[in-house]
Amino acid sequence: MSGVESHTIAGPAPALERRSPLDAALDWSGSVRAVAVLRIAIGPITLLHLRPFLRDALDGISYDDQFWEPFIPWLPHVPDRMWFAMLWIGAAAAVLMAVGLWTRVATVTTVVVVAANLLLSQTHFRHNRAFLAIVLGGIALLPAGRVLSIDAVLRRRRGRPTLPDVAALWPLWLLRAQVCLVYLASGISKLVDPDWFGGLVLWDRVVRYQHVLEPTPLPGWGVDLLTERWMYYAVGPAAVLTELFIGVGLWFGRTRLAAVWVAIVFHALIEISASVEVFSYAAIATLAIWVTPSTRDRIVRVGGDAATSRAVMAFVRAGDWFGRFAVVRAGASEPLVTVVDRDGTAHTRFAAVSLLLSRLPLTFPVVAPARALASRHRRNARAMVAA
Amino acid sequence: MTRLRRRLVAGLIVAVLSVQIGFAVNGYRDPHKFFAFQPFNESSTWQADIVRVTWNGERVPISGGWAGYEWDELVGMAALRGPGRLRHAYMGVGATVDFLDDALDWVATHTPNDHETRYFEATVMTFENTRGPTMTLLRSIERTVP
Repeated sequence: MSGVESHTIAGPAPALERRSPLDAALDWSGSVRAVAVLRIAIGPITLLHLRPFLRDALDGISYDDQFWEPFIPWLPHVPDRMWFAMLWIGAAAAVLMAVGLWTRVATVTTVVVVAANLLLSQTHFRHNRAFLAIVLGGIALLPAGRVLSIDAVLRRRRGRPTLPDVAALWPLWLLRAQVCLVYLASGISKLVDPDWFGGLVLWDRVVRYQHVLEPTPLPGWGVDLLTERWMYYAVGPAAVLTELFIGVGLWFGRTRLAAVWVAIVFHALIEISASVEVFSYAAIATLAIWVTPSTRDRIVRVGGDAATSRAVMAFVRAGDWFGRFAVVRAGASEPLVTVVDRDGTAHTRFAAVSLLLSRLPLTFPVVAPARALASRHRRNARAMVAA
Repeated sequence: MTRLRRRLVAGLIVAVLSVQIGFAVNGYRDPHKFFAFQPFNESSTWQADIVRVTWNGERVPISGGWAGYEWDELVGMAALRGPGRLRHAYMGVGATVDFLDDALDWVATHTPNDHETRYFEATVMTFENTRGPTMTLLRSIERTVP
């Protein structure tokens, strides 16, 4: 491995005595790099969330110029100017959080502003806004500014020792549990509702929005099919079970990648079919919390001629947001790409490229299922030969 | 992590998750389903005929505005705009009717240039996931004599 690339391996601290699973979970430590990626993504998403409020503020329209209702009636009335200032401070804090300058303070300020604005009036409540506040709260509890931040760059420039990207990860447990509760709460509420599970709610909504479907490139028979009642006897349960699968599947190593992929497709479909403000973006970004919190624990050895290997190394480094791979230059006679997995297995050719691309966030949605299908096909072929 | 810190952290985690589960359970009772994460729970629709009942007993529809006020501008939130046409109750029928009831009171108390209206009344028609209609009559608080 290259000497310049540090790596971190997730895992509980060494056991000195017999400890309960709770203690082990509380002592769990690992890399916060994936959380730093989430922090960078959530900054612009927060700005998007604040945009309509900021637009009103620019027009001089305050929350109390229109119908509003406090969650807690006895709390003092927030003056208009204070609300305007709070929104702008929140927007500035979201930018600072994203770039990683005064990261902890900026993140705490962002979560305070988003939560305060949410709790200011019942008319401000939306599930996606509550979800955003939860995610921001989770980021605020973690030292997400230690990597991929201006704070880290400034620290290096000032000659101060670099802070390790390893930290106690109990807030990540909390955030993971909270995010799963969101999927499970939604899924269970639909599971116990016969109108939802029987497809009536989805079918009725599609029928009511048929006028939106008609101008789309969908053929007439496609629109007719989408508005057929019988189809929703299958679509309703499938939608409910998808949510429940995501809420449960994210917890287990064997199902996690599938659950992440299903979640991406699920949120993309919601974004296309419904108006959910920033929910789709926030939920997809938050899938970063399920990345194994260790970095550079797989090695990519890049061979071939100098120009090609430079291009491949640049591609991997640019796409490897979560720092999964230590990239090293191999000899010109070695294969162009060799991936050494965590268990030491070396993959070359197609296996190496597919493993590599299935772990890069931008290529994951396409390559991961293709790789899974190819792997299944190979297993079936081997079973047939053995039979 | 010290024993005390471990206990504090464990307590915080249990408290936060308990509150979140509490909100999720409360969502089966609360029409607004605040923090219960039960989105898209209904395909229900609603429509309301809102009138101003004046001091001399006239019933005047609010459509077209009155005394320089417009309903849509006063209520702001998209869920309550355009009450005259049948609309998707995307927050659910219960939350929509509850907000509408409170909005009538708010409008009654935040329209100082209106010297005619005694109270507002809304006749609300709802279809809960295609079933209905159900009619509900809402009435704002009575305004003070001008």
